[in-house]
Amino acid sequence: MRAILAVVGIVVAAAAGYVILGQTSSGLQPWDSELSDNFVFARSIPFVLALGVAVGFLRRRGPAPERRADGAVRRFSPWTVAMHAVLTVGILLALPTGAWQYFGGILDVVAPVPLFWFYRIHYVGAAIVLFSVAAFLTAWWSTGESSLLVPRGAWRAHLRGLVDELPPAFGKRVARFLKVDMRLRPPARGRFSFYELVVSFPSWAFVLGLITLTGLVKAMRYAAPVPGPVLYVASTLHVAAMVLIGAKVLDHLRYTLARWPLMVAMATGWWKEPAAAAAPRPTSPSAPSPAPAGGD
Amino acid sequence: MRRVVAILALLWGLFNLLAAYVMVTSAFLSKTSAKEGILSQASLLIGGLAIAYFTLALLRQCVRMVRGSGLAAPPR
Repeated sequence: MRAILAVVGIVVAAAAGYVILGQTSSGLQPWDSELSDNFVFARSIPFVLALGVAVGFLRRRGPAPERRADGAVRRFSPWTVAMHAVLTVGILLALPTGAWQYFGGILDVVAPVPLFWFYRIHYVGAAIVLFSVAAFLTAWWSTGESSLLVPRGAWRAHLRGLVDELPPAFGKRVARFLKVDMRLRPPARGRFSFYELVVSFPSWAFVLGLITLTGLVKAMRYAAPVPGPVLYVASTLHVAAMVLIGAKVLDHLRYTLARWPLMVAMATGWWKEPAAAAAPRPTSPSAPSPAPAGGD
Repeated sequence: MRRVVAILALLWGLFNLLAAYVMVTSAFLSKTSAKEGILSQASLLIGGLAIAYFTLALLRQCVRMVRGSGLAAPPR
């Protein structure tokens, strides 16, 4: 059933793409390249989101933990690896082109290529991000995936775990600021670190949600009237989200580059514990190995 | 492979450092204050400093990796 739904979604999206591009290239539209791209993007959004939902249904609940002969365990499913790569491409296209649109305006700088190319590439990247967000949300919802969330009622304990993972001086400050009870015993760490669960994943969700919602409002003006103040607020928050995503990408790279097996796991799906670091710093005497328990 | 990825990340970091520089310096331009107002100037300054902070942290990690070190303990 899931596969049929996905195939239907892909066929409908392909047909919509054919019709939209056919209208644009017919030569009957009076708009210039930039305005034409705006309309193409706005009209594509429902189909891009629907395609994301369809592809999201292709992800199945992870099977029993897989282990290879060399000891590597599956950390990410092939679906997750592929969609993470797709989302990365979307951000790599949308972020620099969006930044240029903003900075070019502030600095009054004219690029050597026509401005509509920046918008065109930005829209391609934005469509990929929209597709990915829809796919991930559908996949998590349809499979009941919740391993990226802090369990209900466990925030205090997870904050305690986070303090242990931070550099000591900074951790002390965070503990004081957030009034973390240091007498609490942190919970055993699961597949993801406390930093990922408490800081990284929630902030990704926030910034991607913000850029998606504000981007949709901005694009909606080409399909329906949007009040000026709403558009102003959406545009301002869209730029703010862009800056936050820029910071998030930098922090994400810093974090994962320092933990190379994470990079390998996101590229291949497989996690292999480095031999030299087989005995990680435990967060509690009973903390398990950070190796993941299974695929997602 | 690690070095190649580190160099790519280094390049990404350098572009971001340039963006941070543009943001911070733009915050003090009279043109910005005239066109955008004090709130945008403050946003540019704070955003630019934040990007610079995260960029420097990434660049430090990249340099460590290019030199052949820079691996932290497994995920923590």
